[in-house]
Amino acid sequence: MFKLNLKIAWRNLWKNKVYAAINIGGLALGLTAFVLMLLYINHEESYDTWSTDLKNVYQIRERHDFFTPDNKEHWNEISNSRIANLIRSKLPQAVAVTKVDNDWGFSNGFSLKVDNADPVIISKIKDSDSSFFKVFPYQFLQGSADKALENKETIVLKESLAMQLFGTTKVLGKTIKIVRWRSDKGTALTITGIVADPKFPQSVSFNAITRTGNKDKDPENPTNNNYCLVYTKLNKSSDTAVLNQTLQKLYVDFKKNLLNGQKKSYNDIYKDGKSPGLKVIPIETVHSNPPYTSGWFDKLKPVMAISAFLLLVSVINFINLATAQSVQRAKEVGVKKVLGSYKRQLTWQFLIESAMQSVISLFLCIILIEVVLPAFNNHFKVDLSFWHNAQLFVMISQLFGLFVFVTLLAGFYPAWILSNFNPVSVLKGNYENGLKGIALRNVLVIFQFIISVTFIISIGVMEMQSRYMNNKDLGFERGNLINIKTNYEDDFAERLKKIPGVEYVATTTQIMGNAFNVPEEVKYKGNAINLNTVTVTMDALPALGVKVMQGRIFSKEYKQDTVNTVVLNEAAANLFGKNLIGQTYGKVDWEGKTNIFQIVGIIKNYHNEGFDKAVLPTVYKVTSLGGTSNTNNLLVRFNTSKYKELISKIENEWKILYPDFPMEYTSMDDEFSKSLEENNRFMNMIILFSIVSVSLSLLGLFALSTFVAKRRTKEIAVRKVLGASNIQIVNLLNKSFLTLVIAANLISWPIAYIIVKKWLDGFAYRIDMPVFPFIAATLISVIIAILTVSIQARKAAVTDPVNALKYE
Amino acid sequence: MIQLKNIEKYYSSKGIKHYVLRHVTTTIKQGEFVSIMGPSGAGKSTLLNILGMLEEPTYGNYEFMDEDVTNLNERKRIELYRNHIGFVFQAYHLIDEMTVYENIEAPLLYKKIGSSERKSRIADLLDRFNIVAKKDLFPNQLSGGQQQLVGIARALAAQPSIILADEPTGNLQSAQAEEIMQLFQKLNKEEGITIIQVTHSEKNAEYGNRILHIADGVVKDDVAVRDSVKI
Ligand SMILES: Nc1ncnc2c1ncn2[C@@H]1O[C@H](COP(=O)(O)OP(=O)(O)OP(=O)(O)O)[C@@H](O)[C@H]1O
Ligand SMILES: [Mg+2]
Repeated sequence: MFKLNLKIAWRNLWKNKVYAAINIGGLALGLTAFVLMLLYINHEESYDTWSTDLKNVYQIRERHDFFTPDNKEHWNEISNSRIANLIRSKLPQAVAVTKVDNDWGFSNGFSLKVDNADPVIISKIKDSDSSFFKVFPYQFLQGSADKALENKETIVLKESLAMQLFGTTKVLGKTIKIVRWRSDKGTALTITGIVADPKFPQSVSFNAITRTGNKDKDPENPTNNNYCLVYTKLNKSSDTAVLNQTLQKLYVDFKKNLLNGQKKSYNDIYKDGKSPGLKVIPIETVHSNPPYTSGWFDKLKPVMAISAFLLLVSVINFINLATAQSVQRAKEVGVKKVLGSYKRQLTWQFLIESAMQSVISLFLCIILIEVVLPAFNNHFKVDLSFWHNAQLFVMISQLFGLFVFVTLLAGFYPAWILSNFNPVSVLKGNYENGLKGIALRNVLVIFQFIISVTFIISIGVMEMQSRYMNNKDLGFERGNLINIKTNYEDDFAERLKKIPGVEYVATTTQIMGNAFNVPEEVKYKGNAINLNTVTVTMDALPALGVKVMQGRIFSKEYKQDTVNTVVLNEAAANLFGKNLIGQTYGKVDWEGKTNIFQIVGIIKNYHNEGFDKAVLPTVYKVTSLGGTSNTNNLLVRFNTSKYKELISKIENEWKILYPDFPMEYTSMDDEFSKSLEENNRFMNMIILFSIVSVSLSLLGLFALSTFVAKRRTKEIAVRKVLGASNIQIVNLLNKSFLTLVIAANLISWPIAYIIVKKWLDGFAYRIDMPVFPFIAATLISVIIAILTVSIQARKAAVTDPVNALKYE
Repeated sequence: MIQLKNIEKYYSSKGIKHYVLRHVTTTIKQGEFVSIMGPSGAGKSTLLNILGMLEEPTYGNYEFMDEDVTNLNERKRIELYRNHIGFVFQAYHLIDEMTVYENIEAPLLYKKIGSSERKSRIADLLDRFNIVAKKDLFPNQLSGGQQQLVGIARALAAQPSIILADEPTGNLQSAQAEEIMQLFQKLNKEEGITIIQVTHSEKNAEYGNRILHIADGVVKDDVAVRDSVKI
């Protein structure tokens, strides 16, 4: 019987080729989106799972507000370097503790020089201490974990980097010269180990680990702090809940001590809801819990919802077409029942049929994935693979689960409906009228269109928001402005200023692409005001092309500008109040002395980050009074269109001064595009998914209307004989579907409104909720639905009624 | 073989009972060939459906092979279909997606008959009904008469003890109808298969040996054929 059933299933599919193709193709598309997402999730979940020994490895998180994007307290990955020592000496459970460089993003990498070859910039070369490989269980291909970083001035390479630099891994004992910044003299490091590249991604990713000796000790002066990543390996039986309580106590003592040394009071610092904190988190959870943004899972939630919806749309097509086809299958069911078939057997038969279609879809889906994966990887900046996946087995079992799930979801209802047909009514021939499942089918069509219409509305709103962002005034002129990754050196700056076409050469601690926030608290008329401080050179604000609202910006004419004048942005000015020009405020420096600053100008807010973040209240100063910082920006504003020529001239000057370190720079136009990139990527995906979802829904509607038209052939013929015109017939069929589509539209409006509003709320700078996309989506969906149904209805309407009636 | 006691069947709509069958009491013995006749709407098909356990009577008692089958569960009923009852329909009701061969094979598969026995039985039936050449065709490639032959072959495949046929020749020309009736008569006489058919044609009814006349749900007359022929 099984073989025969398969044969019947196959013949049925063949007989209804078009619908089968729609079913299977649609399901394959839905599955593809879903499986791509699965691949992505698997990849994200696989972070730091490359060795079973990682179970005992933990990251230290310290609660502080240093270098946080909003100047507020967070559980940071970067900790005070002294904490490593604290744990090593006070926590008996810690087997090993190590300090590693963080990815600061100030530069793209370090310059490596092997023998006399040209220097190459290699990213992710991290400095650590002797314990790194005692904490992280990397597999050594050359050298050993115990000995590799035993001495200072050593380096351990990943296999991939060794191959890139030398073409072999047999390089123990060779030296590499490493230049970390432009004016660095360079250090010669001896290669003492080569480790294998793990199969799975790592949150502490590196190309090489160095031990220069810098990480071996902490600053002696308690007011100087180094921040770095701290990891520890604990002994097996550690209970982290208890451990974290101990850590918290240790930390409070440590902090009191440290603040004492800085002549600050613990109680003064930790007021207004601020609180000290130190904890360990298992390394597997590091990747999913980034300190400031939401983790990948939260970010991916909308995408997961969308791909689940897409799968649902295709499954709905499947159910609808299967129940619509049931008219054709009813007789088979009735006959089989009187021939002695159990209902159970029939249910199985129909389930197997849908399983057959799912299997074909799944194969198509695998092919599709192979086809689209390169584009997907490129677009989402990942490196996923299906067949060369280290988790192939997991993947295959997930696919099998998905197959069972989809088969049951899509096949169970039709199978149940079909196997429940009553043989008497079927064999009497009146099964078409008593057909069950029409209500459900209508609900499913409505549901499908709700999804599609919501998609269309969302695209509309997103498109408008992104047009708004693309055209929004940034508050500075982003054209003809580049940022070289280096600090301001007078001799280099003077050389650049001599190049014709160069207008300004300047530096600032904060610029788009390198938004480094330095918080400070000032006193104005007795009130404390929290500000973000930016240190600039005299030319920086004109170089940026900011707009002056009141007063003036810095200029050489005013001697005082290098002493104690400041410029505020509008956001800061709003905190101070009115009539600010000429007013002064005070700030206490770390020695306890109060410095007085005078406000000389107010500029329009300008953006350093994406439009999702509000511009911080910021004070700009040229003076070094109250401390300065340096974040490796050298702004060059030029007024020539010969961009390439200019850059090569600048590079020539660079090579003369700094031959050992290649020049790195970005243009502000690129930085701006980069700030929009994530959003654009998200939008492209929504657009792609929407198109697929809408086309699937329409295909479904198309096939469904065909069936309905077919089922009503006789009715149509009779009506025509009675004198109905073709238009009247088409309208008759359209009316039933149109009601569904309009109902779907009415339901999607509030749903789309809520979703889109939530999305818009994520932007500090956004458009008002537009009405246009809502109306457009409704018009589009109605028109397309009418067109789709009309094609089928017309076919049915124009056929000769005699043909239909002759059959009886 | 079949005993009906006081069978009643009604449909209620808007609180009013519409009787289709009333006080039907009769016995049909093994080896009989019974024709049910009567005007349209009299309840013939309903009675046959009740006999075939496709419908349940609203009231009354039905014994099939000395077993009360008035309220039978699905499993037992299907056992009866597999082993004792064969259906023949006016509209043939062959499965469109199966070939002639497969249509005849289906009941044997449900009965879990071994493949060699299955082959020989089907070959036998094809041969007997002269449709060997058509075995790989699909129903829509056959004439109505040929389809009905396949329908009967299918009903016989499981070697039932009774065949229930609702207007088996209703869609056929008289020559074809005659062929089918002769076949029924032969099966009844030579193999002792009990046959109950619904028919509108006096002529077809006379192939059997007993006629039940039904009007308005009531058995009006129950006559042996030889008698009616004589009169
Ligand atoms: N599901 C139903 N609901 C209500 N009444 C029904 C139903 N099925 C049958 N009937 C009624 O039962 C009566 C008998 O129907 P049945 O099909 O048995 O007639 P018949 O004798 O076979 O007629 P014909 O010779 O035309 O086939 C009819 O009056 C019909 O209207
Ligand atoms: Mg009838």
